[in-house]
Amino acid sequence: MTLAAGALTTQTNPLNRVLDLHRRYYYYKRTHLTSSIMSQRTERRGIHVDQSDLLCKKGCGYYGNAAWQGLCSKCWREEYQRVRQKQIQDDWALAEKLQREEDAAYASSHGAQTQPHGQSSAPHPGHASLGPFSKFEEKKTNEKTRKVTTVKKFFSPSSRTPPKKETQEGKTPSPSISRHSSFETDQVSRDFVDFLKNLQRPGREIHKQCRAFIVNMSSKKDLSAEELSECVQDFYQNMADRLMSHFKGSSESVEQVMDQVEKYIMTRLYKGVFCPETSDDERKDLATQNRIRALHWVTIQMLCVSMDEEIPEVSENVVKAITDVIEMDSKRVPRDKLACITRCSKHIFSAIRITKNEPASADDFLPALIYIVLKANPPRLQSNIQYITRFCNPSRLMTGEDGYYFTNLCCATAFIEKLDAQSLNLSPEEFERYMSGQASPRLHSSEGDWALAGSAPDATAVATTNPVLVQLNQNLELLSGLISKQERVTEAAQSLQADLLSWPQSVEREVHGVLEKYPLEVAPRTVSAIDANNVDNDNLPPPLTPQVFAG
Amino acid sequence: MSAIRVDAKVVMLGKESVGKTSLVERYVHNRFLVGPYQNTIGAAFVAKPIQIGEKVVTLGVWDTAGSERYEAMSRIYYRGARAAIVCYDLTDSSSFQRARFWVKELQNCEEHCKIYLCGTKGDLIEGDRSVRQIDYHDAQDFAEEIGAQHFETSSKTGKNVDELFYKVAEDYNNSAFQYMTEETGVDLGQKKDSYFYSCCHNN
Repeated sequence: MTLAAGALTTQTNPLNRVLDLHRRYYYYKRTHLTSSIMSQRTERRGIHVDQSDLLCKKGCGYYGNAAWQGLCSKCWREEYQRVRQKQIQDDWALAEKLQREEDAAYASSHGAQTQPHGQSSAPHPGHASLGPFSKFEEKKTNEKTRKVTTVKKFFSPSSRTPPKKETQEGKTPSPSISRHSSFETDQVSRDFVDFLKNLQRPGREIHKQCRAFIVNMSSKKDLSAEELSECVQDFYQNMADRLMSHFKGSSESVEQVMDQVEKYIMTRLYKGVFCPETSDDERKDLATQNRIRALHWVTIQMLCVSMDEEIPEVSENVVKAITDVIEMDSKRVPRDKLACITRCSKHIFSAIRITKNEPASADDFLPALIYIVLKANPPRLQSNIQYITRFCNPSRLMTGEDGYYFTNLCCATAFIEKLDAQSLNLSPEEFERYMSGQASPRLHSSEGDWALAGSAPDATAVATTNPVLVQLNQNLELLSGLISKQERVTEAAQSLQADLLSWPQSVEREVHGVLEKYPLEVAPRTVSAIDANNVDNDNLPPPLTPQVFAG
Repeated sequence: MSAIRVDAKVVMLGKESVGKTSLVERYVHNRFLVGPYQNTIGAAFVAKPIQIGEKVVTLGVWDTAGSERYEAMSRIYYRGARAAIVCYDLTDSSSFQRARFWVKELQNCEEHCKIYLCGTKGDLIEGDRSVRQIDYHDAQDFAEEIGAQHFETSSKTGKNVDELFYKVAEDYNNSAFQYMTEETGVDLGQKKDSYFYSCCHNN
């Protein structure tokens, strides 16, 4: 009985509930029809966690933690260290592979000229197949020495000082830092390597710089967000400067490479630097989210937005804009996030242009963007803005089109934070009433008639004329249909529950009935007597006697 | 994305309905066009290359919302701008007061931003001198006082529009040239510190 009741209360969806009951019912029937019904019932009552479930899965005797996949802190760290080392090795292997391919290409195109550097490139063949970790350390130092020579070779026609990163590169990252490898990061790494292949030798250097930078960054997780941002921006600046001298001032090629560098680096660093614990980004996110929720009553008229959502094309663009601005959160690379904002803005422009029949100006655009943000309530808005500001390549953020739309989004967010009665052309009292939920502006507005339509006598007439109301009515019908279906399902579930409750009782009754009808009578033991009395019983066949056949 | 690369950020400031958007529209469709430009769906942001002597300078023009509602946010807009075109309506004295406000803001917050004072709707006063509310000399005095260039334009006839933007691009080009020669002058032997001289490496 408790079993069934428990199942009902924990399940919320009636359909699930029914399925669950069925499942348990059959399970129950199969396993316990002939054995002890009562004991099973007591065993299943309530939540019962076995002590052994709480312990570390490795069996070291300490308690584990679900957040660490059931391991204790020590085992988890070991496990993670192992995964991370593997990741690092894989990355190096990839870099090695690239290096070897390029060496081969270079050698074939330049003949024996490259040989003077034979000493530096000698370590590779020995490490072509990456062995255990002990070799890895060794290889790393090899990499480092070779890097210094090649960096000079590539970047210094003049004797420019090598970048400061190299002196820090040797640091091993602290063990608590983990790099999450996923399909996405692997894909980005591969793309990056492919892209750099086209650049021949510089590509290899760029890749090495980036690798070194990422390793270096992972040892600095305890820095504040601003300091991390500073590191990344310095890196961009250094990289851009050197690319500039390499490409002899062709800013387009530099930008192309920088885009790839940004993509690669930020995909890797994302987990650690997006909404870091050292900042209060998360708190701001929540504050903004709540603020936007509290402002749900703001209408398009209050913001003076020149978009007419009655026009299907406009509302389509509005929906797309909302989708785009929400999608921003799912991207990792600052540039991809910016692209989402730009797409969103373009849709808003389309919507305004369709409504007004002329190109939109900033006076139209900003209110519309504010409206879209209010409607979308984009997840982690503040974190995303902060992340883009901190880690985007500044040349893009400061001047270009993306930068313009991003700035507008910042403005929209700032506006929403500071929004008050005056900025909506409302009286402070009205604003207070709306904010506290005591009143809804829709009932007062000129378009409020639909809200009253339900009680008005000519409700149907209104409903047939207005397409929105037709849609509304259809939805209402659909909803009531769903409600009745749900009621039926609930009823079925309840009758099943009743069945299930009465079933063990009926079985019990049956068993009792059977027991009463055929009371168990223990027959007197006569077995020994049989043996004693029937030694010479004629009914028994004669004992078998061996027969001998003449061969 | 194939957005045009932009050299300088130019921000348009001015009271609502003063004609910022028209000015930008006029500028985008004029004959100084070099190469293809994007088919803008809005006039809020436009990027347009201008030929200055040997070089091509691309100005990214940022339109801003002029309504007082968004006044608190305007600072976000002109951050990092190399030039600001502060517009006022020649037939509306209140718009000139707003222009003064923006000039003060810019001087306080963006000292590297060059200011261009621009009186709009010049065609209106040409038809009827009496509608003029801002005296040319008053505006000119103010411009000199703040070290700004002063133009009176008409987006309708196109008067002075090209000149205004040409001047902006030319000044930017000159300052960028100075900036670069300065840098190479300092550079000898200590290239790695060069980014400390850049104004925007820390966003």
